[in-house]
Amino acid sequence: MSRENSGLPHQFGDGERDRRALLADLAARAETEAEEASRLRRSSLEALGSELERAARAIAQRLSAGACVYSFGDGESSIDATCAAALFSRSRGASLPARSLVADRAVITSAGDDADHELGFSRQLAACARAGDIAIGYSIGPEADNVVDAFEEAGKRGLLTVGFTGCAGGQMATRGVLDHCFAVPSRDLHRIQEAVMALSYDLWARVEQLPTPDGDRQALSQQQTAAEQGLLVTEEAR
Amino acid sequence: MSTDGLLATDDALSQDLRGPDAADLAAAALEMARRFASGATLWCAAPSWPWHAHHVAVELARPTENGKQALPVTTVPDGPFSEILRPLARAGDMLLVISGSDEPSLADIRQRAQAWGLLTVWIGAGPRPEPGSADYVLWTDGDETAASYGGRFALVVHLLSEFTLSCLEHPRLLAPEPAACTNEVCITCSDEGRLGEVVAIGADGRAEVRTPDGLEAVDTTLIEPARPGDLVLIHAGLALALVDRSPR
Repeated sequence: MSRENSGLPHQFGDGERDRRALLADLAARAETEAEEASRLRRSSLEALGSELERAARAIAQRLSAGACVYSFGDGESSIDATCAAALFSRSRGASLPARSLVADRAVITSAGDDADHELGFSRQLAACARAGDIAIGYSIGPEADNVVDAFEEAGKRGLLTVGFTGCAGGQMATRGVLDHCFAVPSRDLHRIQEAVMALSYDLWARVEQLPTPDGDRQALSQQQTAAEQGLLVTEEAR
Repeated sequence: MSTDGLLATDDALSQDLRGPDAADLAAAALEMARRFASGATLWCAAPSWPWHAHHVAVELARPTENGKQALPVTTVPDGPFSEILRPLARAGDMLLVISGSDEPSLADIRQRAQAWGLLTVWIGAGPRPEPGSADYVLWTDGDETAASYGGRFALVVHLLSEFTLSCLEHPRLLAPEPAACTNEVCITCSDEGRLGEVVAIGADGRAEVRTPDGLEAVDTTLIEPARPGDLVLIHAGLALALVDRSPR
């Protein structure tokens, strides 16, 4: 995946003065890039706030009905997929079924092996997902046909589809495969990914804050705990 | 050196928090580039959030365009880090850990890294570690969960890898620093104890000890019977103190 590295203007020599100049240059770049990261994160969260809330409600509703979360993405985006699965697997005071489709290395590498990588995620979804489940996909770079294909498969199977990407949304937005599309307006892959992580985390935090509906998971887990305690008491009494 | 640190807004809590110092980040990148240039490998460990270690690897080790070579970066597999790294890491290599300051599985490896001659870089958030816990500490204030999941660690990883790659474009600045001393007897060094890890015990309390300079024969009669894996403080061929027992 390509990324414009704003190279330094000239070749630095081997002297102490040049070493200091290089370090000062990098420190200044760090300040600028951190500020841009912060600005992009804030503006994305603000611009996409109401869409995040809608997606959070849809996710919360499905989680309460026992949905499983499937996350996926290629390369750097696989980092976001793993991160999302880790977050959603410990949502709402319970441990929930959330899986990253990049976790199974044997499956992923075998998909690459027989030139079926394009189909990797959609095949896994076809095998594992059920109607009512949730598909969360990440594609911060420009080319991600397999992610778009996976969303198409997910849509056909009645999954809720949530996508994170950069620029104007690319194919994810134009092919109409998403229920909720979050596109960070930038061309810098690093800044996009940082903002995508913030959006993703914010989405999870919103789901956490939503009240669980009747017959909700928390009450269920409390009942289970009570039942387990009851069981323990009975066992002790024996 | 500025003490303010980089802006790292925690949007979930609407608080402005400070990230690592820009000058520290730049210095860490230059030193990492220097080590890469002299053939070192970067080992990454993030026990609570393994994807951050994979992130560093994908930023630096992925096949790059423009004919650039991938850098030797490897994620340390989950498990007992010291046991896994002992046979793999060579003096001069680097260890990058991404964790909170209270991560118990990393306390041992950070100490041993010193005996093995590894450069240590620590990215983290939340309560700060003791000063001197790593050669470079790139710390972010505030909640470590928000930093880990909300993109702030990703920013530090991005900047560090971008800058390391930038420094590699200036090979003339990457020559290793001249050794502080080359004399057999050096007043500076002879005042200092160095950390070493016992490899094997011989007769009469003689032990083979691993240090950043290689294997050394050390007299361990001053300390209680040493075992392979023990960390000892050595000085002028003598083990003066047992710093840490072998975890084995």
